Amino acid sequence: MEKKTLNKEVLAAVRHVPLLSVAAARILDLTAQVDHTLADVMAVAKNDAALTARLLKIVNSPVYGLLEPATSLERAISYLGENLVVSLVLEDTIGAYLNKPLPGYGGGSGDLWRHDLRTAIAAKEIALINRDRCPPDVAFTGGLLHDIGKSILSEFLKDGYQEILAELAEKEVVDFVGGERDLLGIDHAQVGYELARTWGLPEVMQMVIRHHHEPSLAPEDLKPVVYAVHLGDIIAMMGGYGTGTDNLFYRLDQRYTDYLVVGPEQMGMLMLTVEEKFNETVETLQMR
Amino acid sequence: MAEIVLGIGGIGATNTKGATLKTYALGSCIAVVILDPQTRTVGMVHVALPDSAIKPEKVATLPGYFADTGIPALFEQMKRCGTKGPQGLIVKLAGGAQIMDQNNTFNIGKRNALAAKKILWSFGLAPVAEDLGDNYSRTVTLATDTGIMTLSSPGKPNWHI
Repeated sequence: MEKKTLNKEVLAAVRHVPLLSVAAARILDLTAQVDHTLADVMAVAKNDAALTARLLKIVNSPVYGLLEPATSLERAISYLGENLVVSLVLEDTIGAYLNKPLPGYGGGSGDLWRHDLRTAIAAKEIALINRDRCPPDVAFTGGLLHDIGKSILSEFLKDGYQEILAELAEKEVVDFVGGERDLLGIDHAQVGYELARTWGLPEVMQMVIRHHHEPSLAPEDLKPVVYAVHLGDIIAMMGGYGTGTDNLFYRLDQRYTDYLVVGPEQMGMLMLTVEEKFNETVETLQMR
Repeated sequence: MAEIVLGIGGIGATNTKGATLKTYALGSCIAVVILDPQTRTVGMVHVALPDSAIKPEKVATLPGYFADTGIPALFEQMKRCGTKGPQGLIVKLAGGAQIMDQNNTFNIGKRNALAAKKILWSFGLAPVAEDLGDNYSRTVTLATDTGIMTLSSPGKPNWHI
């Protein structure tokens, strides 16, 4: 099929994706604002009964070992922290996309969500080292959302990954996103960006999703956070948490050093910290 | 058939007939595989980082996480299966992938492989086969009965080393 036709079909699929819930959209809006507080998140969450119940159930699970059960949302959220609340909100509202198998990438159910979570934790750790220019919570949420386009593009990729792998071997394309563009006329970052626009996500999230493989193309003021997610994505892949056939066929943008301080010698400690925090988060999220 | 799955930093050794050792999705991590033809014992450790000096307190709970502590700990486990000493052991390595980057900025995979070889040399051992580097993740399966080490990666047919 012609690339142009495929491209149109992909974009049509994006337009058919259901909208975000009001609570999810508000919470994502809030977390993209640098000066928000946990109280702001709480104010939104308390209007969502299902979310409140879920947060209370998790905070009262054995993982937290509370002596007295938490009965108020305030207590639950202050224990869990914003990142876990955002993870739960996203899993509740767009979990169908985050958890579905990625046949076009050879990825199983949950692979994308684990990769996203790992990227989010890594992006936040990088932001914490660079917190003067990169808000950690924004980097975390950006990490959770960065690959959302794969959930749509996977359907169109089908067995096409074989062609992309062959093109990579022949050096006809420079990386997997280049292969996607060559095959389908659009890549997963662009598809994710269209989805983010459809959902009305904040601009910073749209830019993270759109430019996470080419951070140098992001608007100047957003480059630190886009680079943090770019590196977080790489840390997730290096740690064995990729999404399948795309493996580690992505390029590191060396210009990250213009925006972030992350020395090669810090990489080992970052990987170790990410591994430990990821295991903790997974344990908590599974306690439903 | 018993399948022992090793997570990151996991160590396993067995000489049970029909058993397999398996570790999933090695990115920059490496699998160090040791075969003992004398006792028909197979062992594997999933190493994440080259040197435990980065966080020594982790060694007590997960020695396999680091090359310098993981390989000696693997020998110890193999000894419990009857392995006598390093002499006559067969070593294979796999993993150590990296992102596409000509400058090798984050070369954890390469450093893992080098650190593993250095430790192995100190025991008088060198790998007879290896599948290291490149840009793809690897899953490793090791069969006790045959000693065959099977590698798989998304989008590629399985292969052996």
